[in-house]
Amino acid sequence: MDNVHSMQGRPSARLAVAGVGDGIVARPRNTVGHSNQVTDNLIEIEGLRFSRGDRIIFDGLDLVVPRGHITALMGPSGTGKTTLLRIIGGQIRPDSGRVIVDGHDVPTLSRGELFELRKGMGMLFQSSALFTDLSVFENVAFPLRVHTDLPDEMIRDLVLMKLNAVGLRGARDLMPAQLSGGMSRRVALARTIALDPKFIMYDEPFTGQDPIAMGVLVSLIRGLNESLAMTSLVVSHDIHETASIADQLYIISDGRVIGEGTPEMLRDHPSTMVRQFMLGSPDGPVPFHYPADNFLDDVLGDA
Amino acid sequence: MLRYLRLLGQWALDWIGALGRAALVWFWSMAGVPQRDDLKLLVKQIYQIGVLSLVIIVLSAFSIGAVLALQGYTQLARVGAEESVGLGVALVLLRELGPVVTGLLFAGRAGSAITAEIGLMKATDQLSSMEMMGVDPLHRIAAPRLWAGMISMPLLTLIFNAVAIWGAALVGVDWLGVDQGGFWGGMQDGVEWWDDIGKGMIKAVLFAMVISWIAVFQGLDSTPTAEGVSVATTKSVVYSSVAVLAFDFILTLVMYGEFK
Amino acid sequence: MIRMRTIEISVGAFVLAGILCLVFLAFRVSGVGVGSTSGSYTLLAKFDDVAGLRVRSKVSLAGVTIGRVAKIGVDSELGEAIVTMEINNDVKDLPIDTGARIQTEGFLGGRYVSLSPGGEDKTLKNGDTITNTQGAIGIESLIDQFIGKMGSK
Repeated sequence: MDNVHSMQGRPSARLAVAGVGDGIVARPRNTVGHSNQVTDNLIEIEGLRFSRGDRIIFDGLDLVVPRGHITALMGPSGTGKTTLLRIIGGQIRPDSGRVIVDGHDVPTLSRGELFELRKGMGMLFQSSALFTDLSVFENVAFPLRVHTDLPDEMIRDLVLMKLNAVGLRGARDLMPAQLSGGMSRRVALARTIALDPKFIMYDEPFTGQDPIAMGVLVSLIRGLNESLAMTSLVVSHDIHETASIADQLYIISDGRVIGEGTPEMLRDHPSTMVRQFMLGSPDGPVPFHYPADNFLDDVLGDA
Repeated sequence: MLRYLRLLGQWALDWIGALGRAALVWFWSMAGVPQRDDLKLLVKQIYQIGVLSLVIIVLSAFSIGAVLALQGYTQLARVGAEESVGLGVALVLLRELGPVVTGLLFAGRAGSAITAEIGLMKATDQLSSMEMMGVDPLHRIAAPRLWAGMISMPLLTLIFNAVAIWGAALVGVDWLGVDQGGFWGGMQDGVEWWDDIGKGMIKAVLFAMVISWIAVFQGLDSTPTAEGVSVATTKSVVYSSVAVLAFDFILTLVMYGEFK
Repeated sequence: MIRMRTIEISVGAFVLAGILCLVFLAFRVSGVGVGSTSGSYTLLAKFDDVAGLRVRSKVSLAGVTIGRVAKIGVDSELGEAIVTMEINNDVKDLPIDTGARIQTEGFLGGRYVSLSPGGEDKTLKNGDTITNTQGAIGIESLIDQFIGKMGSK
């Protein structure tokens, strides 16, 4: 995936890839890298605790998502990464801990305040979650119709612009059932940026995609983050892709953060668990064998 | 022994919990300020739930009406009372079979479709993403279906009754030769506006509420997997059917039972 | 994808069909409105036994339905039943000695009041009472009569 790396350094390529020239709503563009971004934190999570029944999902989790950057959350399956996204979005209430998003303590917000906050957030689900009874156009138009009183002509223009940004303007009249997996995700992305949110959460965006679709998504995520000056939080398993676009990574396991930093830092991390994860080694702190008796005894035992 | 008691207790608590959740679903769906899109959503649902059920309702109604007339005629002819076949069929249909059979068919066709659709929306995160966009899924998905069910099923019951009686007339008068005047006259003399049609429609409205409620709730409460949706759909049809029959018994007792 | 317009039309047609069925049921099946369009007047009749007669039972003259039983009351002093009947206005001038009998429709049918006109010149007016009455004949009394007849042989 060297292409993606090299693209990062070239402003014109970044802009071209994002399709910006064709008309995303104008925003202050970041053509010189992130140095002139305000580096305060959009999200601060402190001491998060959450259990489901008997299972402890989060046990004192702390993490920080800086504005204007792409932050990645990684970790073994089942560690509750999707749950964390839902907590940030206010869908689930944690047992204790502070979840500050853009200055608001999310678990304490009222219904109305949550509604306002959600206008500025977007979430891209693993399954793209397009509304199956609406066309591509109507799916992207949905948030606009719900949150604004804009006339139909304006909505039409906005929808076409968003679809163009993800390269699917020509697919506007198709139904979700007619789209491939990669196309669905791009439409979902167009829907997510419909209201120009400042913050987008991506839940496993790269899972199950072919290399081309993967490349498209990677460049879109990067490009949108740059051109729209957004903050992105990506949850993923894919080390390669995620490491190539993330400014910083968090590795989560057993309900807490076990490693954080840039991809290079993490590859040399003192914790063996982090290294096993980054390198994808089959055996290590997360064992290969499910707990079982001694092999020889088991096999010879029935003889 | 103790273990079984514990399981029974757990099951009862689960059941009560589900009932509580279902009540909340009902409350929060019915509450809520009507919005711009609501009428359009409602009309679309009435189409999906009501109009698309017409075929099975009409076919069943005609067959049942015809069969009732046939059987009724055979039995009544024995005592020379064939002319009462019109009245007999009409009473049975209006009071019992109309609401109940329509209810069962509705639960099977429309109820299961509602549950499956909502369950699938839950499993593919459509409901979650709606919530994240600041749209209340109860208002947008559940409420239109609840109202559509409550409007459609009574209409379907009316259509069922009318078609069944017409089917009975075709068989009785045109085929079996019952005197037309006797058929309709006997019916008109004996069928009461409130007692038979009215009370039958009350049943239909009640069944409509129960079936729609169960169908929507089972969809919303389903486990978000393929298997979960399948289980929920089955539960929806079974619970609805049992509820219809149980309420029918109770209502019939209350409305027509004569307590000295 | 079915167009919205088609959906709206079919839903409208559906609702219309439902209403038409309701109308059909009301008029053709339950006979609402069948009968007098000209209003009715009230006649009373006292019987010693009205077993099986119900409110809304027919009142007929020579086999033609001319009215309905509106109310069935009781005179506890005399031990009689008072039947209030609504008679169609187009059946007027019933003689004052008109008889009223409670009969059974067919073999298994319900009870109804059968009127047979008398010969007097004076006619019954709204609110008048028919005095020439014969109560319902129950199966029991028939059997009693039969046994009585047998016994006297």
